[in-house]
Amino acid sequence: MPEIRVEHLIKSFGDHRVLDDVTFTVKDKEFVTLLGPSGCGKTTTLMSIAGFVTPETGAIACGDETFLDRSAGVDRAAEDRNLGIVFQSYAVWPHMTVAANVGFPLKVRRLGRKAIRERVEEVLDLVEMGEYVDRYPYQLSGGQQQRVALARALAYSPGVLLLDEPFSNLDAKLRERARAWLKELQHNLGLTTVFVTHDQDEALSMSDRLLVMNDGRILGGGSPEEIYREPGERFVAEFVGRCSFLSGQVTTDAEGTCRLTTPEFPDGIVVRGHHPGPEATVAVRPEDIEIHEHADDFTAAEPIVLDVSYLGDRYQYRVAVGRAELVVQTTRRIATDGLRVRIPPGVATFVESDDNAPSTEIDETHES
Amino acid sequence: MTTSTVDRPRWPDRFRGLARSPRSLRPASAAQGLIWAVVVVLVVGPLVPLVYASLRNKPFYLPGGAFSLDGYSTLFADPAFWEAVRNTVLFALLTTVLAVAGGTAFAILCNRTNLPGRKVYAVLLLAPIVIPPLGLIVGWLALYGQSGYITVLVGDDLNLPVWNLSSIPGMAVLGAAVALPIAFLTCQAALSGTDSSLEDAARSAGATPPQVIRRVTLPMLRPAILNSAVLIFALSLEVLGLPLILGPPAHIDFYASYLYKTWTSGVLPDPPSVSAGAVLLLIVVSALLLVRMRLLGSEQRFVVTTTRGGGTYQPMDLRRWRWPASAAVGAFIAVTSLVPLLGLVLMSSVRALTRLQPPWELLTTDNWNHVATDVTLRRAISNSLIIAVVGGALAVLLVAAATLIAHRSGFFLRRTLAPTLIYPRAVPGIILGIGFFWSYLLVNPPGGSVRNNIWGELIALGVRNLTLAYIVIYPSLARINAEFDRAARAAGAGWWTIARRILLPILRPALLAAFVLMFVTLLNDYDPVVFLQKPGTEIIGVTMLQYFQRGVVGPVAALAVVQILIVAVVLSLGWRAITRIRHA
Repeated sequence: MPEIRVEHLIKSFGDHRVLDDVTFTVKDKEFVTLLGPSGCGKTTTLMSIAGFVTPETGAIACGDETFLDRSAGVDRAAEDRNLGIVFQSYAVWPHMTVAANVGFPLKVRRLGRKAIRERVEEVLDLVEMGEYVDRYPYQLSGGQQQRVALARALAYSPGVLLLDEPFSNLDAKLRERARAWLKELQHNLGLTTVFVTHDQDEALSMSDRLLVMNDGRILGGGSPEEIYREPGERFVAEFVGRCSFLSGQVTTDAEGTCRLTTPEFPDGIVVRGHHPGPEATVAVRPEDIEIHEHADDFTAAEPIVLDVSYLGDRYQYRVAVGRAELVVQTTRRIATDGLRVRIPPGVATFVESDDNAPSTEIDETHES
Repeated sequence: MTTSTVDRPRWPDRFRGLARSPRSLRPASAAQGLIWAVVVVLVVGPLVPLVYASLRNKPFYLPGGAFSLDGYSTLFADPAFWEAVRNTVLFALLTTVLAVAGGTAFAILCNRTNLPGRKVYAVLLLAPIVIPPLGLIVGWLALYGQSGYITVLVGDDLNLPVWNLSSIPGMAVLGAAVALPIAFLTCQAALSGTDSSLEDAARSAGATPPQVIRRVTLPMLRPAILNSAVLIFALSLEVLGLPLILGPPAHIDFYASYLYKTWTSGVLPDPPSVSAGAVLLLIVVSALLLVRMRLLGSEQRFVVTTTRGGGTYQPMDLRRWRWPASAAVGAFIAVTSLVPLLGLVLMSSVRALTRLQPPWELLTTDNWNHVATDVTLRRAISNSLIIAVVGGALAVLLVAAATLIAHRSGFFLRRTLAPTLIYPRAVPGIILGIGFFWSYLLVNPPGGSVRNNIWGELIALGVRNLTLAYIVIYPSLARINAEFDRAARAAGAGWWTIARRILLPILRPALLAAFVLMFVTLLNDYDPVVFLQKPGTEIIGVTMLQYFQRGVVGPVAALAVVQILIVAVVLSLGWRAITRIRHA
C-alpha cells in the first residue's frame, strides 16, 4: 500500500490564494485528517490529490507513481489515478442500481460479468449492504447511500481512500456509528486514507494524525492528543476544542520552570514547555481550570460568572477574572458567587499567533 | 479510536491487479473537437457564402462575376425596399408593445392573483408556440379577414365598425398573439424565481393590490420585460408568412416578404441584392441579440429559476374583478387560438366559408380528398414527417453531445459552444435559408449531394432550431451534480464513458422533451426552406404558402388541420416527458 507525498502546492482563484505552499506526507496505512473551517483549502487539497483541481505549482506522488509535478509538466488525469473517493454528496448515480453503481469501476476496467458480480457481492458484504444489491438510490437512506459510495470507491481495491466530509449529511446519532465503523474498516483493510472535515470530534476520534489548516496553510500536525494538548498555534488551540487565552510576562526560575504573570493571576501560572521572549500567550482547556466555592482560598482569583450552559454531562461557565474571560467546565452545578478559580501548574501551554492577539477579553456587551 | 484485531489485510490477493490504469490512452478530445467543428461549421458556415454572395455582382453560377457593392446599391435604390423597411419597423414596434403588455399582464394574473382558472390559462396561453403558424394565419384570415366569417357577421349583420386584418395594426395584433407566449414565459420565470414576500411586505405596509403591482411587481419584472421585448422585436423583423398571406389585398410587404418576392420573381434569378438585404438584416438582428445578452449578463438567462420559500404564499385577491378578469383572459385565448383553429377545421370541410349560406349546406369532403390524392401534398406530409423525426433525433443527439462538451468537459474551445448553440435561433429563417442555398452550391461536394433532396432542408431546419434543444437540455444538465462526473472519473471512466453511461442516461427525460419540441418545431417551421424547396422535396409549410398564393384555400386549410392533428398527437404522447422536465 502506498504513501502519499504532497509537496509545495500553490493554487489561486483570482487574487485569493486557496493553497499556500501545502506540504505533507501520509504514511502507508495511515489515517490522516485535514481539519479546518470552510474555505481553508482542505477540500481543494483533497481534490488536487484526486486530480480534479490542478495546482499552479507543486508535486503529488502516490507510492512510486507521480500524479502531479508542475515543474516536470506531469499531470495525470483523474481517471488514471486509481484512487477510491467518497464525495460529500455521495454521488451515487441515481439511474443505476446499487450493484451497477458498485460494479461501474470494474466495468470500465473491462472485467467479465461473473467476476464483477462476485466482487460486487463481496464489497457490498464488506459494507453490510449485501441485501440491497437491486435497490435504486432513491430507495436508500442517507447512511445506506454513503455505504454504497464507499463500496464503489473500494470496488477495485485501491490502496488509497479519499473522503470528503462523508458524514456531513448524516444525523448526529448515525454519524457517531458510521465513524466507528468506517475507522474499523479502514484499519482492517490497511487503506492509506485522507479525510477532510470541519468537525473536530470526527477528526479527533478517527485520525492517526491531524493536519489543521487555515487560509490555505497547514498550521500544525500531530496525533489527536498532541494537537489537543500542545496546539502550538493559537488558531489550532481555538479550532480544536474550547480554549481560554491569557497573556502576560514570562519568567523562568533556576529549575527551568516557566511562569506566566498576568494582572489577573499576579502569583503566576506554571506553564508547560519554554518560551524565549519576555511576553507570551498561553492556552488553557476548560476542563483543566479549577473552580470551587472556597472563598477563603486567597491563592486563587475571584471570578464573576457571566453565564452558564448546561451541556448534559457537564456545566460550562463563562467567567470574568479582571479583564480576562475564562471558560471553565465542571461536572456539577456550583453557586455563582463566592467562587475562586485556579489554574493548576502544568496545564497551560504556550501558543503562537500571527497577530499577537492578547488574552480573551470580555466584550463590552457582556459586562453589564 | 476503534481498533479491532481481526486478521488483516482482508483484501483478497486476486483483486490486487485491478488497481491499474483501466483504459488505453484514447484522447476524448479528438471526438470533442469533431463535434465542436460540426456545430461551428453548421451554424457559422452558411453565413459565409451569404456574405460572399452579397458582395458579388452576379450569382455564383453565372460566369464573369466580380466583387462589387452592386447588390447593396440596387437594394438601396429600390423604393419598395424602404417601404418594406418602414412597414417592418412599424409592425415590429406595435407587435412588441402589444405582446409584452399582454404577456406581462397575463403572467401577473396567472402567478400572483386568485384568478379563477389560472393554472389552465397558464398552459393554454402557450398554445401559439405549438400551433402551426401558417394554419393559425389562415384560420385568422377565414374568420377575421376582410371577407371573414366574423368580420362580415359584425360588420354587415350587426352594422358595427369593423377592423382591417390586412393592415399593419391588424397584422401586429396577430403577430402579438403569436409572440405573447415569449413575454408570458419570461415574466412567469421571473415571478416564480422570486418569492412573493416582496409583495407581501408591501401589502402588510398597507398598499392596495394595484399599488403593489405598480410599485413592486412591475419594477421587479423590468429586466424580464426588457429582455422579452428585445427578443420579440428581433423575431418580428423576420416574419414571412404574415405579409405573404395577409399583405396582398393592401399591397403591404415586410422585409422578409420583399426579399422572398425579389428572389422568386425578379428579372435576374437569385439576385445579389437579396443576399445584401439578408446580410443587413442579419447584422441588425445579431446586434439586437448582443444588446439582449448585455441586458441579461452572459449565460444567466438559462439558469434554472426555482421557487424559494413560497409555502405560505397568499395570492392577491382580485375581489369583484375575479370573474370578469377570468372571462377576459378566457375570451382572449378563445379569440386568438381556439376559434381560429375551429374556423380552420370548418374551412377544411366546406366549399367556401361565407355568411350567405349556412356552412352545413356547403359541407364537402373535396378538400380532404385533395390532400389524400394530390401527390405533392402527400409527399409534403411524408417529407415533413421524415424531417421532423430524423432531423429532430439528429439535432437532439448533436446538441446533447455539444452541451456536454460545453459544460462538462475540459475541451479547450468549450466556452465558444454555448453562444454558437444560442445564435441560430436569432438568425432569421429566410436568411439561414439563403445561406444554405449558396453553401450547397458553393461547397460542392458535399453540397451537391444534399442540394436536391430533403436532407438539405433537414439540415437547414435542424440548424435553425438547435437552440430549442439546447435550452431544454442545458438547464437539466446544470441540475446534475458535478460530483456524479467526478465519482465516475475517480472510478476510472473517461469523458465518453461518463457521457454515455452517466450523464446521458440521467438526462433521458430532458432528451425526450427536447425531441418532442424539436419534432413539433421542425414540422411547423418553414422559412429556412422557402429558397431550398424543389419539386419532390416539398414540405408542409412551404407547400401551404405556394398553394395559398395560387388561391387554393380549402386544401391548405385541410393540410393545416393535418399538421395540427400530428402536433396534437405527438404532444399528447410526449406531454408527460415535458411536464416531468418542467416540474423537475
